[in-house]
Amino acid sequence: MDVRKVAAVVRREFVERVRTKWFIISTVLGPIFLIGITILPAVLATRGGGARVALVDEGSGGFANRLLAQLQSDGRFAASVVASASAPAALTDSLTREVQAKRLDGFLEVTPAALESGRFEYRGRNVASIRDMELLKAAVRQAVTVERLTRRGIDPGVVQEAQQRIDLATLRITRQGATGESGEATFFLAYIVGFILYMAIFLYGVNVMRSVIEEKQTRIIEVLVSSLRPFELMLGKVIGVGGVGLFQMAIWGVTAAVLASYAQALFGVLHVTPEQAAQVQMPAIGLGLVALVLAYFLLGYLIYSALFAVVGASVNTESEAQQAQMPVTMLLVVAIVLFPMVLNDPGGRMAVAMGIVPFFSPIIMPIRYTASEVPTGEVAVSLAVLAVSTVVVVWVAARIYRVGILMYGKRPNVKELLRWARES
Amino acid sequence: MTNDSVVDIERITKRFAGHVAVAELSLSVPRGAVYGLLGPNGAGKTTTIRMTMNIIIPDEGSVRLFGDDLGGRHHSARIGYLPEERGLYKKMKVRDALIFLAETKGVARVAAGRKADRWLERLDLGAWRLRKIEELSKGMQQKVQFISTMLHEPELLILDEPFSGLDPINQQELKDIIVELSRTGTTIIFSTHQMDVAEKICDHVCIIARGRKVLDGRLAEVKREHGGVHVAVAFEEGDEKAVPVLADRALVAKLDDSGQYAEVAMADGADPQRLLERLVASGARLRRFEHIEPSLHRIFLDKVGAEEAEPAREAVHGRA
Repeated sequence: MDVRKVAAVVRREFVERVRTKWFIISTVLGPIFLIGITILPAVLATRGGGARVALVDEGSGGFANRLLAQLQSDGRFAASVVASASAPAALTDSLTREVQAKRLDGFLEVTPAALESGRFEYRGRNVASIRDMELLKAAVRQAVTVERLTRRGIDPGVVQEAQQRIDLATLRITRQGATGESGEATFFLAYIVGFILYMAIFLYGVNVMRSVIEEKQTRIIEVLVSSLRPFELMLGKVIGVGGVGLFQMAIWGVTAAVLASYAQALFGVLHVTPEQAAQVQMPAIGLGLVALVLAYFLLGYLIYSALFAVVGASVNTESEAQQAQMPVTMLLVVAIVLFPMVLNDPGGRMAVAMGIVPFFSPIIMPIRYTASEVPTGEVAVSLAVLAVSTVVVVWVAARIYRVGILMYGKRPNVKELLRWARES
Repeated sequence: MTNDSVVDIERITKRFAGHVAVAELSLSVPRGAVYGLLGPNGAGKTTTIRMTMNIIIPDEGSVRLFGDDLGGRHHSARIGYLPEERGLYKKMKVRDALIFLAETKGVARVAAGRKADRWLERLDLGAWRLRKIEELSKGMQQKVQFISTMLHEPELLILDEPFSGLDPINQQELKDIIVELSRTGTTIIFSTHQMDVAEKICDHVCIIARGRKVLDGRLAEVKREHGGVHVAVAFEEGDEKAVPVLADRALVAKLDDSGQYAEVAMADGADPQRLLERLVASGARLRRFEHIEPSLHRIFLDKVGAEEAEPAREAVHGRA
């Protein structure tokens, strides 16, 4: 093995990729996307103090005012009561115009009949907002319950006590004890981890494939294999492209760490109040998790990039590769399909099994590890199985690659690929 | 053969899916030679070169480079190789691509950069050194690729069809470079079916057809051995008076008539002086009458034509 030649290949793959627009754009947009989905909800919640809702009081006898108080106490709505005396149709028209002019988000008709039957009608611009509608429904339900109980002669004090808000805080317990993280944040983090791994393995695997195709299509491969052994070439390629992946993740990691340490200042700039900031749950990311994600990324990337290299070596053009890469892509897609199942029951039999199967474990195991406690033994077995499979796959792939890069013409089927592996 | 052979090929055979691409081919390239590998399309030139380069392995026979059988990759720093089908990294900058390819031959980065600049300057590509390869014209890309084969100052240069696709100016430039490298001791092997080019710069030739060697040796010897007396004649435009004279089998054994120019192989024992008299007597207006050695083109047609008349002639004329 000529280390200097491999290094030249690594360098070329790395430098040429890092220079592309694609790399710069994805590196910049990645964190913006992540920051967006973590901070945006908090920022959005502060916008304009919630929906402006009018309550049309059609003789509800004080209920409208109670509902108004309920809505205002939530702080999510800027509500007001409009009395409707004689001409409800005219009022509805004028309110509709108000909504159309965007001075109002919507209006709710409060009639004795509605109170009796429990069927309320809300018209507005924001009916598609699930959050607004859920909150509105909850407020109406609560106000109606209080109203009905009070009418049956229940002591308003008792009603109020019964109505007190109930909170279920979910706190995760790990081997290190209670963490103070919520279940939601854990779920969220597991999802992000799985998604990043999937994207990284797929994108950089495809990059290896395209690099192989480029050399084959331009026939530079002939010059290269006259100076380097095919394995040296493939190795350099895989390391170089993988290096780009690690480099990109490092940029993101450092950015995230810096942002986290300046979080308070950042919230100040964005006019986020401390209470709202508290809603942004920053799940703790331990060193163990980072190490595990890195290990699975590296092995997962190696095993998949070897497969992608085989695809690249067995085709003549990029368009042929679109089809030929299907089986490899499907393996990754299966891992994605297993995602929700694993998240719902990270310790379940299915999740445990899939955490060991080599082509799925690079994505499934880190999800499990993030979402729940995984016994160290299971992680060790999973890593060992993955490592051994990676060595086998890379070995076979290198043999197919060696033959494939100099073959042009009809695309080989799996049987022929295996024959190449045997004969080379 | 001798110890001073750079390339020694011993009875190599290569079969592809039923057909024999190269059959029991042996050849030997002496150090410092400009060696022409000649043959019609599909004769097995590229396959022979690829086996020499160790890119494909012969089914039978052996290839020795620089006196050992360690293979082309082992000696890659001493060999420059231009494959038949050209191509470079389209998105790379010219200079970076040259440096990378030199690095795979074991040249250090800094030295590679210096050499790349020098060659680019010399081939009038200096202004393009930081441009992407895809922005260059086809001809310029070819030149960049030539540079990549020579940058590491190889002792042995193997060029597969180096002249195809080049305009006359670039062909001349490349010829000059080959001659110059040859003077400094570089051994050069190139394949072509352009006999006129080969004739001008080769000192050794090997003609192959259908995967088999037809003849090889020093160009001068090949010509001498080809035998017979040859005469070049040229007439003024539209002169048909010479036709019956040249058709006389008592005088002319073979005629390669290109219209205004004809190469004549004299019949056994016929005197060129007699041919001249007859031509003058016919009233044809001569522009040229010269006693010559047979051209490589003539030898090629005779030899390859004898081997397998049709495909060879078609291939040669298709390119003329």
